[in-house]
Amino acid sequence: MIFRNDSKATLACFLAVLGSTLAVVSCGGSSSSSTPPPVTPVANSVTAEVSAGPAPPSSGFTNFLYVTVTVCMPGTTTCTDVPNVQVDTGSEGLRLLSSALGTLAPSSSTGLPTINDSSGDVLQECIQFEDGTYIWGPVATADVEMAGEKASSVPIQVIAATPAFLVPASCLTLPNNGSLSTVATLGANGIIGVGLFPQDCGGACTSASTSLPAQYFVCPSNVCSVSAVPTNDQLWNPVALFPADNNGVMITMPAIAAGGQATASGSMTFGIGTQTDNALGSATIYAVDEYGNLPQVTYNGVAYTSPNNAGFIDSGSAGIYFLDHVTLGIPDCTSGWYCPASPVAYTVTASGANGTSGPVQFTIANADSLFGNATAYAFDDLGADGGSGPSSDEIDLGMPFFYNRTIFFGIAGTTVPGNVSAPNGYFAF
Amino acid sequence: MRVLAILLLGVAPAWAVLGEYESSVTVDQQYLKGEDREQAGSGYKLHQITAPNGTTVREFVSPEGKVFGVAWSGQFIPNMQQLLGSYFPDLDQAARSQVRRRGGPLVVRTDRFVLVSAGHMRSYHGHAYVPSLLPNNVSAEVVR
Repeated sequence: MIFRNDSKATLACFLAVLGSTLAVVSCGGSSSSSTPPPVTPVANSVTAEVSAGPAPPSSGFTNFLYVTVTVCMPGTTTCTDVPNVQVDTGSEGLRLLSSALGTLAPSSSTGLPTINDSSGDVLQECIQFEDGTYIWGPVATADVEMAGEKASSVPIQVIAATPAFLVPASCLTLPNNGSLSTVATLGANGIIGVGLFPQDCGGACTSASTSLPAQYFVCPSNVCSVSAVPTNDQLWNPVALFPADNNGVMITMPAIAAGGQATASGSMTFGIGTQTDNALGSATIYAVDEYGNLPQVTYNGVAYTSPNNAGFIDSGSAGIYFLDHVTLGIPDCTSGWYCPASPVAYTVTASGANGTSGPVQFTIANADSLFGNATAYAFDDLGADGGSGPSSDEIDLGMPFFYNRTIFFGIAGTTVPGNVSAPNGYFAF
Repeated sequence: MRVLAILLLGVAPAWAVLGEYESSVTVDQQYLKGEDREQAGSGYKLHQITAPNGTTVREFVSPEGKVFGVAWSGQFIPNMQQLLGSYFPDLDQAARSQVRRRGGPLVVRTDRFVLVSAGHMRSYHGHAYVPSLLPNNVSAEVVR
């Protein structure tokens, strides 16, 4: 367990922190190395499906992996199911559209409680992604349930909530490429970030220095300013807050047709090596570095190294963003995706921080041909540029890489089965 | 127990860097409140500024004293308006016209300007350079 143990004192402390203010309170450290008490196994797997999703079909969202997440008023059985939440192994935290929460929207008198500072101002968060799109909205607490797992009083972000404040300019360090604040722009009712970090910011947002990143804010009198936030009040990977099965997730997807399919139904299972259904088996563990990346990926005799050449596995990426079209010698099509004349099979060598290495194989096909199948939303061979040349190229193994595989995502700071050293977390497949 | 709230200084002014003379590096250093480490490269000079939040920004200077490239890596994306100066509108325009590929990097390649913004939550990286300002015998590949 990463954050809480089962002692009532610690739980009470946690609740006190959530219930009072954003102030820094020590609850005996953020990690626990004590032996967890025996836990009765609970159902730990949910269906995860790639489909057309909730956005209009013309929106062009492909390879979105959806699950249903149940959110509840903390400590009660007042709950609502939110379907079509995108699974994102490249981020941390649960972010839901206010419109999907119904009477649990914080603006409602029966809504989820927000996290407030001592002046009563609601904590707000702004995330700008690498493509310039952003998410903005307040932080509330909810119990989060999936299968038989239940995380209590989880900080989550509510998107497009009321009252709405103007997004702070300081957050948008890239050009404003649009707010992901509707089903049509988000392509989902929300995002569940189940990546390798326990929280979405960590120590950088807790600092008392003047160099706080523009990620968390409070907005008294409609003027937003950056706020320090203890890790307890940051967005958490909800899995890390489950009482058990909290050391990561296992995602299994079926093989699909090369030309794409309308749907592809797999599963997301909680815990790694905690129950009979989530054993690592023969999977190779690739420990990541401090950036959450494979330290090195080698292709064609060239070593691509983190962080300038990030190698990672991201279900929130619609394609495999792999090197660049000049390096690979294949054309881009007008849609911006790769369009080789015929499918090309690639093998790269992934290296883990724990000294492992192994082959990673995938295929990239002609995107224009794939998209000619207008009813298909699941593609295992969709690719695009990951940079402009070897100095910037990334190797982002997106959703196409997940089909016909089981991939494990181990959270930083957890105990790894087999006592492998992976302090920053790991991928395994 | 109290909340620590820090007011930002607002949007960075036109502290142009990319394409400007080396003196603008000092302004960057002040803005990032970082430490500058200068090293001589082969045919160019490199300033590396590490901000307290851990993001490093590297600025590449030609023998003529102009910044021909910038690169960054860290938990947060640096302020592009400040780093790119007069090239920011190029990025703004290109970003809006690029087809959305969810989860993918922003890649801009024009004759005038090249930029990549990539990575994932808690680890971003990228670079930008001006092809026409590359010193003789220096490859764009050094901008990393």
